[in-house]
Amino acid sequence: MSPGQLLLFTVGGLANAAYLFIVAAGLSLVFGALRVINMAHGSLYMVAAFVTVVIANQVGAGLGFWAGLLVAVAVTGLIGGVVEILVLRRVYGREHLVQLLGTYAVSLVVAGGVRIVFGANYRTVASPIPGHIDVGGYSYASYSLFMIAAAIVIAAGVWAMLYRTNLGRNIRAAVADPDLLNATGVNVTRLYTTVFVIGAGLAGLGGAIVAPSQAIGSSIDTDVLVLAFAISVIGGLGSIVGSGVGALIVGMVVSFGLIIPATSPFALAFVFIIMTAVLIVRPRGLFGLPEN
Amino acid sequence: MRWGVVLALFLFVGLIPPLAGLNENLNPDTSSRFQIFLGTSALVLALWAISYNLMLGYTGMVSFAHAAYYGVGAYTVALIFKRYHLPILVGLAAAPFAAAAVGLITGLVAQRAVRLYFSLLTLAISQLLFSIVFSWYDFTGGDNGISITLPDQLNDYTTLYYFTAAVVAICLLLMFILVRSPFGAALLSIRENRQRAASIGINVRAYELAVYTIAAVFAGVAGGLFVMYQQQAYPEMLYWTANAQPVVVALLGGTTTFLGPAIGAFVYVVLDNSLSKHFPYQFDIILGAIVLGVVLAVPGGISDVPSVFLRLRERFRRGEDEADAQPAESTGDAIRMFDVSKALATEAIQADEVRSGQTLLRIERLSRSFGGLRAVEDVSLDVKQGDRHAIIGPNGAGKSTLFNLITGQLKPNSGKVIFDGRDITGKPPHVIARTGIGRAFQITTIFPKLTVRKNLQYAMLAHRGYTVRPFGIADRMFAAEAQELAEAVGLGSWADLPAGQLSHGDQRAIEIAISLALGSKLVLLDEPTAGMSAYETDKAMELVRQLATERHLTLLFCEHDMAVVFSTARTVTVMHQGRVLTAGTPEQIRRNPDVQKVYLGELEQEELGA
Repeated sequence: MSPGQLLLFTVGGLANAAYLFIVAAGLSLVFGALRVINMAHGSLYMVAAFVTVVIANQVGAGLGFWAGLLVAVAVTGLIGGVVEILVLRRVYGREHLVQLLGTYAVSLVVAGGVRIVFGANYRTVASPIPGHIDVGGYSYASYSLFMIAAAIVIAAGVWAMLYRTNLGRNIRAAVADPDLLNATGVNVTRLYTTVFVIGAGLAGLGGAIVAPSQAIGSSIDTDVLVLAFAISVIGGLGSIVGSGVGALIVGMVVSFGLIIPATSPFALAFVFIIMTAVLIVRPRGLFGLPEN
Repeated sequence: MRWGVVLALFLFVGLIPPLAGLNENLNPDTSSRFQIFLGTSALVLALWAISYNLMLGYTGMVSFAHAAYYGVGAYTVALIFKRYHLPILVGLAAAPFAAAAVGLITGLVAQRAVRLYFSLLTLAISQLLFSIVFSWYDFTGGDNGISITLPDQLNDYTTLYYFTAAVVAICLLLMFILVRSPFGAALLSIRENRQRAASIGINVRAYELAVYTIAAVFAGVAGGLFVMYQQQAYPEMLYWTANAQPVVVALLGGTTTFLGPAIGAFVYVVLDNSLSKHFPYQFDIILGAIVLGVVLAVPGGISDVPSVFLRLRERFRRGEDEADAQPAESTGDAIRMFDVSKALATEAIQADEVRSGQTLLRIERLSRSFGGLRAVEDVSLDVKQGDRHAIIGPNGAGKSTLFNLITGQLKPNSGKVIFDGRDITGKPPHVIARTGIGRAFQITTIFPKLTVRKNLQYAMLAHRGYTVRPFGIADRMFAAEAQELAEAVGLGSWADLPAGQLSHGDQRAIEIAISLALGSKLVLLDEPTAGMSAYETDKAMELVRQLATERHLTLLFCEHDMAVVFSTARTVTVMHQGRVLTAGTPEQIRRNPDVQKVYLGELEQEELGA
């Protein structure tokens, strides 16, 4: 493989890792603080992608995309808040099964809603940052580079939120010991709602950012969810650093798995082989929390 | 009543084709073939959902890979028929074996994790199997799947319907025999409480693997039948989201009854067919709303609706008339009168025998550390046959760790545990339980939804090695003996109540009774009176002393309440910072200045800390 090719597939892998990290970070944050696996996480991502596409196509590429992104994040955050108050509050502390089924039911409702509102057809939107950069005989879409930059900014933002704000301190306390937090006078109910809204907003951000880079259809919810699960499990549920590392691994495996003709049909299978191997050797993932 | 339901279901299933034919005669616009087709799909769905419920409802496992075994069954039939040109019934006969092989191998992998992580591991396995089927174009046809054309004798809808019904009926019968056998009892006890199941001698992982594989077998049959009436197999059958269907169906019908998912399957097929015609996209929303409603309001599904009404009526009635309320809690009378003077006499004789008696449990230089913390260090002690041996010491002295080392929840770093002449060091909990060590945990550990009697019956079944039996009726085995034991601990009149509804003190009594049901020679009690009122404490310890005297039990217990220790123990070992400080009779310990210092020291520290 020539160095140019290597760079091409590395950038492709990083672009995959970028949007997957944003989605997985939300999933992991919610699990860390609330100890709930949110099966509706992919549905929020799908809603945001559709909202972004529709608004961007209405308003026109460029400004329309940014407007769509903001509306999409607001909408998913709002849905997240409603879901937390109406559903999740009633399943905290119950068996995993009940939590899985409750959030799964939410995902069915949201998916049905998306099909009614947006229809079943695939949609696309023009890139808000068109053009490409040529390096060593290969061209790189500017938007891919934007996605990578956006993921780095978001990672920094999440880090600053967790380690530089009161909210972040409380979230970290909730991750470490929910019972103790309860005893210290923090409004845990409101904290949980806030965390879930942030998690939903991250799913929305991921969906909005991915929209110009691929066709948006009504099955992208489960496709992204299963990858977000793989990332969270590899990196360790509840760990943002883990989400980053997991996203890099998954993004690169998918990108490089596609190069070799013999392995290209099985690129996704490799992700699940790694996921299985990590779970067997290190059940809590590379940076994971113990199960509560 | 139960047999009434079975009969009604039987008639209903048998009558679908003639009724559909009648309907076609009356309304020539309708096609009876389509309705018979729907009936066939409901039967297959019922089989698939009930096989899922073996894990979900009976063992408490959530698997995302069950659809993959359904898919394996389907592809087995399609490949054998289409690629190897063998009769389709050969394919159907091979389907359960193929599913069992894949289920067993992947189940072994999935078992490396528990609970949530088990579920996530099954998700990875499911996607892996899906990717293989989806990508192996030359063999499986890739995303096109495999289409088949049935031989003429099965191509008639009514024949195929009755054939499917017969196969499903046989499978359901086999599963029904399984769930009410002692094997099924072991599954239920795992669902109720994994830790307790292990401590009555059940090898939790082996049973989970067995039921996972058995469920895969029946899913394989269901998948094979699916290919026969749909005449195709496609990769999406294995995708992880396909598991939603059996889960929703099982929830809809109720996971706590055997036939619930079958009823759910018919409701689902009718709903799906009538709704998706008029509201193609609304079906998901309605399905989601139903699942949400079931999860949040009616955890037992359709077949639990009557009990929800009962509960509502009860609540309503209780509001009307307090006195008429059902006894939701027992009163803590876990003791019956016994002859005090006689007991005191036996007590005195036994106390002498003990000191000269044999050693039942010997602990030799046992150590265990967590990171840098030496929780138990170089602990040696002997528990004599028939003794009541108390371990005391301030918080963090290592008492609970020592207990966990003895019963196998933790493995020691060094040292030995010898019980009844056998080295049991580092053995798993279920093995140690079978050697005759019973344990009451610090946090009450029983099977809360099972009746008091079943708690004891299942303990007897597990201990006596019956739970490997996949036939027979577990609830009828040892019923009288369990009742007798319940009466001995003063719970005779509560034997039919779910154990979780009894008072805290009575639940502790159940734990002790479980140890007795295991025929334990040595019973470990971890803070037997924690969280009890003074009244409950007196009653409970009276019961413990009485049972120990009557049944010649050896007790090893740790306790903070000194009144309890000095009224019950014959030997006391004091632990401090993971080591044995001293041991002796209660009188010697009471007068030991070191012991006083340890407890005073703790007091001072507490004062300083506050």
